[in-house]
Amino acid sequence: MADLTEFGPRLAELVGRAGHLPIVVDAMGGDHAPGEIVGGARRAFEQLGIPIILVGRPDAVGDRGEVPLIEASEAIAMDADPTTSVRRMKDSSLVRGAEAVRDGKASALVSAGNTGAAMTASLLRMGRIRGIARPAIASPIASPGGTPTVLLDAGANAECNPEWLIQFGQMGTLYSRLRFGVARPRVGLMSIGEESVKGNKLVKDVHKLMSEPGWLDHVDGRFVGNVEGRDLMSTDVDVVVTDGFVGNVALKTLEGALEGMVKALEGIAGGDPVILDAARRLHDALDPEQQGGALLLGVRGVTIISHGSSSAWAMTNAIGLAQEMVRSGFVEQLTEVARLTAADTTDATEG
Amino acid sequence: MPAETHVEQSPMSRAEVFALVRDRLSDILEIEASTINEGDSFQDDLDADSLALIELVEAIEEEVGERSVGFRIEDEDLEDLKTVRDAVDYVLARLD
Repeated sequence: MADLTEFGPRLAELVGRAGHLPIVVDAMGGDHAPGEIVGGARRAFEQLGIPIILVGRPDAVGDRGEVPLIEASEAIAMDADPTTSVRRMKDSSLVRGAEAVRDGKASALVSAGNTGAAMTASLLRMGRIRGIARPAIASPIASPGGTPTVLLDAGANAECNPEWLIQFGQMGTLYSRLRFGVARPRVGLMSIGEESVKGNKLVKDVHKLMSEPGWLDHVDGRFVGNVEGRDLMSTDVDVVVTDGFVGNVALKTLEGALEGMVKALEGIAGGDPVILDAARRLHDALDPEQQGGALLLGVRGVTIISHGSSSAWAMTNAIGLAQEMVRSGFVEQLTEVARLTAADTTDATEG
Repeated sequence: MPAETHVEQSPMSRAEVFALVRDRLSDILEIEASTINEGDSFQDDLDADSLALIELVEAIEEEVGERSVGFRIEDEDLEDLKTVRDAVDYVLARLD
């Protein structure tokens, strides 16, 4: 394990107790940074005993208690161009955070900042898992009466080729199993109808590939055919695969619909405390913040991308999710799956 | 001033720069380094997309930057890099 003495005895103690390297938290990312971010990190560190290192500008971070800090002089704005920012702002909190994982000082990165920049920094600094063509963002969708549905790609790759979607399906299946304990997750392909002839060219091409046997064997999942947007919150499917453009539109549509529904319910409540309470509970049950954040799958480290509007409470959840994913060995298992899949391809080519 | 101090030697030879570009591309694209030639087009021959090129220039900047402080590949120049040879020429020109 890396030498963490520079970060003080308290961190070393928590690392020893938790059994994993610290989680680095981007103090400068998010609509409510750094206040809410530092608040959430402090709560996770002080009350839950999770080893954490903040990364950000010392003059901006404020009172961080005993939580150690990696100094970074720059912060990538929420609306900045991801690639240019990551390439040019080498001393930004996101880049320094991703480097801490790369350099073996941290096990995971959590950020509520610029999603594209978090993805790019993770990709360029941590690197891709060998065999994985493109990282994807996996976003859990609440599914009343069942385990959450994993939607991916939720926005990392606006344009995709069919082979990438096959990998998204494999990565999402492993994630569904390790995070939600789903046995043999059911994988669906997002389309505009259940019939295999429906959809655009990408969907039809992917459907053909997904109908072939074997592609989910190493992750122990099963393909259940095309699904539609309305199935996202159903209990009929565990993993929904789509390209990052459609996935992001679907995710934002769900979020907007939830807000609209809650407002409508409050409007018709007429001050009735029972209905108002139901509206609040409906929001809490389906709110994306409840899910802790999205996981970037396919890079050599755990990266949690939290909602831009994350509160301190949401950040604590995101940090908890990061710890859960580190402990699950997701990255190591995905690395092995990618290796086995590559070996299959080599065998098939040589055979 | 002695004559030899006027002779500015490139910190890397053409062969070294090509080897660097080829090896990084090999890592990024997960293909054998020996199959990569200087005349190869990133897009048409190597199937390298824009993200792969960003990974490549980052890797080159990091490695060459260790030998030549301040070395960087400008974003606006990326679209001019169509082939492996373009990348090698660009790096050598910047090192001059």
